[in-house]
Amino acid sequence: MRGYLLRRLPSALFVLLLASLLVFAVLRLVPGDPAAVLAGPDASAEAEAAIRASLGLDDPLPAQYARWIGGLLTGDLGPSYAIGGRTADLIGDGIGATVELTLGALLFVIVLGAAFGMVGATSRNRWLRGTVRILTTGALAVPPFVTGVLLVLLFAVLLGVLPPGGRVPLLTAPDLGVQYLLLPALCLALPSAAVLGRYLEDSIGRALSEDYVRTATAAGIAPRRLLWRHALPNALPPVVTLLGMQTGHLLGGAVLVEAIFAWPGLGQLAEQALVRRDYPVVQDLLLLLVTVFVLVQLVTDLVHAWLDPRIRWE
Amino acid sequence: MTETRPSTPTAPTRRATLRAAGGGALLLGLGVTGCRSAVSEAGSPAGEAGEAGKASTEPRRGGTLSVAVNADFTPSLLFAQSAQSLQQRLIYNTLTRYDDRLKPQPELATSWEYAKDGRSLTLALRTGVTFHDGRPFTADDVIFAVENLQSPLRAAQLRATAAVVTGFEKRGDHELVLKLAHPVNNLFDLFEFMIIADRNSVEDAVTGKRLNGTGPFRLTRWSPGSGLSLRRNETYWRPGRPYLDGVELRVVPQADALLSSLRTGQSQLSFSVPGKNLSVVAATPELAISQYSTGGGAVYLGVNTTVAPLDDKTVRQALAWAIDRERILKQVLGGYGLASAAPWPKSSPAFTEAGRTHYTHNPGKARELLRSAGHTRLDLPLLHVNLPGETAVAEAVQYDLRQIGVHVTLQPTDSAAAQKNLISQNMPGLWTMGHGFAQVQPSTLAVSAYPFNEAKNTSRFRSAAYTKVVREAWTGPAEGARANALREKITDTLLDEAFIIDLAIRGSVQVSARKLHGVTLNKFTYLNLDDAYLAG
Repeated sequence: MRGYLLRRLPSALFVLLLASLLVFAVLRLVPGDPAAVLAGPDASAEAEAAIRASLGLDDPLPAQYARWIGGLLTGDLGPSYAIGGRTADLIGDGIGATVELTLGALLFVIVLGAAFGMVGATSRNRWLRGTVRILTTGALAVPPFVTGVLLVLLFAVLLGVLPPGGRVPLLTAPDLGVQYLLLPALCLALPSAAVLGRYLEDSIGRALSEDYVRTATAAGIAPRRLLWRHALPNALPPVVTLLGMQTGHLLGGAVLVEAIFAWPGLGQLAEQALVRRDYPVVQDLLLLLVTVFVLVQLVTDLVHAWLDPRIRWE
Repeated sequence: MTETRPSTPTAPTRRATLRAAGGGALLLGLGVTGCRSAVSEAGSPAGEAGEAGKASTEPRRGGTLSVAVNADFTPSLLFAQSAQSLQQRLIYNTLTRYDDRLKPQPELATSWEYAKDGRSLTLALRTGVTFHDGRPFTADDVIFAVENLQSPLRAAQLRATAAVVTGFEKRGDHELVLKLAHPVNNLFDLFEFMIIADRNSVEDAVTGKRLNGTGPFRLTRWSPGSGLSLRRNETYWRPGRPYLDGVELRVVPQADALLSSLRTGQSQLSFSVPGKNLSVVAATPELAISQYSTGGGAVYLGVNTTVAPLDDKTVRQALAWAIDRERILKQVLGGYGLASAAPWPKSSPAFTEAGRTHYTHNPGKARELLRSAGHTRLDLPLLHVNLPGETAVAEAVQYDLRQIGVHVTLQPTDSAAAQKNLISQNMPGLWTMGHGFAQVQPSTLAVSAYPFNEAKNTSRFRSAAYTKVVREAWTGPAEGARANALREKITDTLLDEAFIIDLAIRGSVQVSARKLHGVTLNKFTYLNLDDAYLAG
């Protein structure tokens, strides 16, 4: 396994290097820069030039790139240009909120997806199956910015049982934190839960059609035991793979949901930093995202190699 | 071949379903009875607040006010005019404060006197004032504040006025003479704008680590993306103030979410409700809307005077006649503001009804002017910021101009790129944006607001006559017949040359729960909560 890891590492590092170059270059190709944003609409060109020089934006691009990478390698993410504060602090504050939201949504995806899938595959009640189908179709068809507004209208404005937005960290006050988390997590989770439910329904349906199920039924094994002990374990592997992919979608979708529910996560930070051309914050965030995906890929490869020895020797 | 599936149902039994439902209900019940409610913790619903507000309007100590803002605090813009400046007067003080008639009132400066030649100003400073860390406020802090704004790095829009101060003479710790390069009449605009920050921790302030001021509230925490938490300054120099225990500036970037936050009572105050949402607020009896006469900036159509045929004044005037300002006010700003051809809000000494209505919606006259300039059809680009409100203004202008044969192609641009084009004088033929600085001394607009700057502006408009009148208005008296005549000349030049075509003065609109009293804003939208309280 160590040898396999050593063979995979160089390509992962190369991807990161390439990504850093791309992120750095693309940002500078976009019109506008942090000096113009800081100077404001009523400022003079002289004020803007002074700010640009103070931020080091007059330096040659290779020097700016080297300064950024050098800082990353020494653990110093540097100051934010346009938002203020240290980039590491800004990202540190946001990452906890985004992870909390994503995990909360993932929990909803698993619970709702399993419920939708099980009911769809096993219920004899036509109305119940129809209702689940309408729900999953609705969850897939309605975009989160509409679902979010509707959830706020119902639970915060009309019923007044949940707050319309904001965040109390779960670790600080779990009882309040859960209430702030419920609506954004549900809003983020609904489309993925619908996908998972439909996939699970189909997967269970296939498993139940297998010959061994028919044989087991003929042998008199109880239906519930048949479902939980035999059909479900065989239906789950592809669903788990899908769940992994949906987790990536949840991280991406958090950007929009964070804006709707004033959830102070990385999505809001990224939007704010991009609008203000805060180069260090945007660069670090994008590279962080690429690093996460590279790591996930690496771990997945390692798990596959562990499961299937043939991969190790390829 | 047909596939067979076990006919026996594998769904949970009715008993199992009932057990699960019962267990869930029990857990939920335990949760509900055992937990605090986030809704009650955040504040009572706006409705209850309204009823309570009717019952008692006596000042009452205590409570935390939650203010919904659509943009986070930007520490790097602490000394400039940024999109969100409500916290300035909560944490800091200014030297003076304008009243409704633009007369300066004491804050950290208690009195002042100009020298007869107008080249120096003596300030008496308040004694017994301390910063949040306990250090006394002295004349050195004022010297630092002025010098700090003179640095181009601070990007302070009133830098030109700060730069007029060329020397300081300290007479003890609480008297200071400012020596001026030449007389100016907008020094009190600078004093309204300039926060007095602790000179020893200014670098910590611009990174958001530590904001040390003399204001009524101390910073407890800035959570980027979430907002600011402030608590009462127990050693504030105004005895018995502030009434509130604390203030939360809560970032709610999405307009609908911000409205929900107000309607549910999670926030009790906001100045960020978009015009299109104000009709919903007006229909909510628990919320009150009030408008500040100073305006919240202005919406304008900029014209690049070096692009043919816009180098012809007649064409620019035709555009000014073509636009239906009342429609923009109604549809885009929700009716809150003032349709105006001149940049001045009603509170400005330069405001005149004749100036406001100099250009009205008159497509016939616009077409006639275009024809007289030799044009029947024009194709022009128009840049605008790609935000909903700004896009709506651009689309309204596009529609109106099409009626007179001017076909406009919209160029939606994000705010950073638009700002870059503005400052680098790289705008296309037309653009729509907003400007500030018309709410204070009229000379400040032409000296400090880049679109109107007489020496260098985005429109690339140059005129010796404009420069002369602006310089005279800046260095001349602030009051009297001559001051009025000079202001009138500036207005006449702006209207006649039409390089900046003003469309509407935005209303600075306050939406608040009815139980909230005593809130005020200064001319630069610094929130003053010294006398604010939550009734009932």
